[in-house]
Amino acid sequence: MSVSVPLALFFGVMMLVLDSGFRVLSQRSVGEVLDRQMVALIAAAEPQPNGGYAPAPHTLDPRLETPRSGLYAQIRSPQHEWRSPSTAGLDVDFGGLLAGGQRDLTYGTFGHDRVAIASRSIQFEDDPSGARSLTFSIAASLSPYEEQLWHFRRQLVGWFIGLMLALLVTLAALLRWVLSPMRRLEREIYQVEEGRSETLGGGYPRELSGVASNLNALLIGERKRVSRYRDTLGNLAHSLKTPLAVMRASLQGGEDAAPRVSAEIDRMTGIIEHQLKRAAASGGALLGAAPVEVTQVAAELRSALLRVYADKDLAIELAVAPGAQFIGDRGDLMELLGNLLDNACKWCRSRVRLTATGDEHAGPRERLSLMVEDDGPGISAEDRARVLQRGVRADERVPGHGLGLAMVRDTVDLYGGRLAIDTSPMGGARFSLRLPGR
Amino acid sequence: MRVLVVEDEAALRDTLKARLSEAGFTVDVASDGNEGLFAAQEYPLDVAIIDLGLPGLNGLELIRRLRAARKTYPILILTARDNWQDKVEGLQAGADDYVAKPFHFEEVLARLQALLRRAGGWASPQLKCGPLTLDTRAQSVTVNGKPVDLTTFEYRILEHLMLRAGDVISKSELTERLYDQDFERDSNVIEVLVGRLRRKLDPGEQLRPIETLRGRGYRFALPRDTAP
Repeated sequence: MSVSVPLALFFGVMMLVLDSGFRVLSQRSVGEVLDRQMVALIAAAEPQPNGGYAPAPHTLDPRLETPRSGLYAQIRSPQHEWRSPSTAGLDVDFGGLLAGGQRDLTYGTFGHDRVAIASRSIQFEDDPSGARSLTFSIAASLSPYEEQLWHFRRQLVGWFIGLMLALLVTLAALLRWVLSPMRRLEREIYQVEEGRSETLGGGYPRELSGVASNLNALLIGERKRVSRYRDTLGNLAHSLKTPLAVMRASLQGGEDAAPRVSAEIDRMTGIIEHQLKRAAASGGALLGAAPVEVTQVAAELRSALLRVYADKDLAIELAVAPGAQFIGDRGDLMELLGNLLDNACKWCRSRVRLTATGDEHAGPRERLSLMVEDDGPGISAEDRARVLQRGVRADERVPGHGLGLAMVRDTVDLYGGRLAIDTSPMGGARFSLRLPGR
Repeated sequence: MRVLVVEDEAALRDTLKARLSEAGFTVDVASDGNEGLFAAQEYPLDVAIIDLGLPGLNGLELIRRLRAARKTYPILILTARDNWQDKVEGLQAGADDYVAKPFHFEEVLARLQALLRRAGGWASPQLKCGPLTLDTRAQSVTVNGKPVDLTTFEYRILEHLMLRAGDVISKSELTERLYDQDFERDSNVIEVLVGRLRRKLDPGEQLRPIETLRGRGYRFALPRDTAP
């Protein structure tokens, strides 16, 4: 687990800091012991008949009387030397004589014992040459402190390892618990993949329910698309067979087949175009679709159409409410408005109007209202019915109103919207659409 | 009228060339965008037909470059992807109209003629100047309602002069519009043709529809009838 590495690093650094702190503390306590013994030794020193100095009997720390006790002392002058009985049988070296007034702290080894040695030199006031100066030395074994240190270290490591393990276990358990919905998601996606279930279940925590519902939208959209492609292919194959049969028949008939074949080619072209467009319409991009500004699409189409119909005295009015948006594919909106406006431009005398408004009180798939109207001759009632009728194929289209309107109807259906045709106050046809948007 | 066809599909290009020539156009062809760009800048064109899906320089980019180079003649785009997004892009790039593939040749021809009329400032396919009427769709000419029988070259010259009625058009421009790039050019031919046109249109020498401006060219002198 990746968390254990920084955790171990953190504990390692903590241990180093604690360890060095403990060492400083123990050194300080050794120093204090040495100082105390030094003061006692200097106070107890008395001149001896032989000219040297030694402490008075029974004035010393009992440890100095006990051999190998871990505490040792020495008083040294240039001519004489006294050592505490505790040094008996040990090869000891307290270091050389010091000049008057000097202090020293060194480390050495007495036998197998590591010791800290404090030395201090004392000079008499009536002896400026220092010929009688004395060097007092106290040595204390370090082993008790070292033992303490090792004990402390063992404890430290023990605690830290225990703590770390506890932390890791807690963390692992926590992660497992937190990630359990993700594992469920994974399992459910796998089930969908295997075809054992249609969509993901509900009841995900708040943080994940968005993801789950978006995935569901994607799944549903994908399934719709697949079935649409399948339908399209089927329709395409079936509807192409008829014109092909007619062409073969007229070719075998012997007479001039060209006009008949040419007519059938037109019909086939129409069918292909219709089915392709139907399949290409994305049909309600439910996932991640940025709302499309109607204003922008309308303005682009307007300038394009004014170019195409440059020799017609034409006015295209755009009455698009600011903020009117279509929720879906931009290309689909372009096709819808392009076909309707093109149709209106074709049939109008001089005026075409596009109105777009949002209606927040309508159903979710009908919140955008679009209206395209013109001042042309309008569409007769029967033709309106034929345009709106489902199942009327492209090759049975209303003459003059082209493939475009069938395409509009199919796209509106795909988005679950509504399409109505009536007569505009301007005199011509009025197409009213309701689509997802705002 | 001189037209450039930029289309990468050989069969379609050849058909367009053959049928446009038949319909009285002088036709230049190019098979990709770069060739098209060269031809479009090199020849004195009246109109261009450009396929959007071209190898090399694509159709949209070609149109943008032509417009940036201040080529103002009308451009008709051909597109296999018949959706509004593509049409809008093409028109925004500077094209004037579009035809979706597969198309009927008659449709392309009608669009071309409409574009040429528009470029000349005519609103209807019938160009009327006083007693003289030229129908660009039927390619027929009448004077006071009586049909006048013209040869192809005579018709082409008259159409060119009438589309831009009022403008002075040089002899070399007329020659270029009549012949393909490789044809031998002889300006006497134009003089002969204009002379024949004058005799056919105006045997009594009362109308004087075509003026000669010495050293500059010809001008169609009859005023346009603006009301349809």
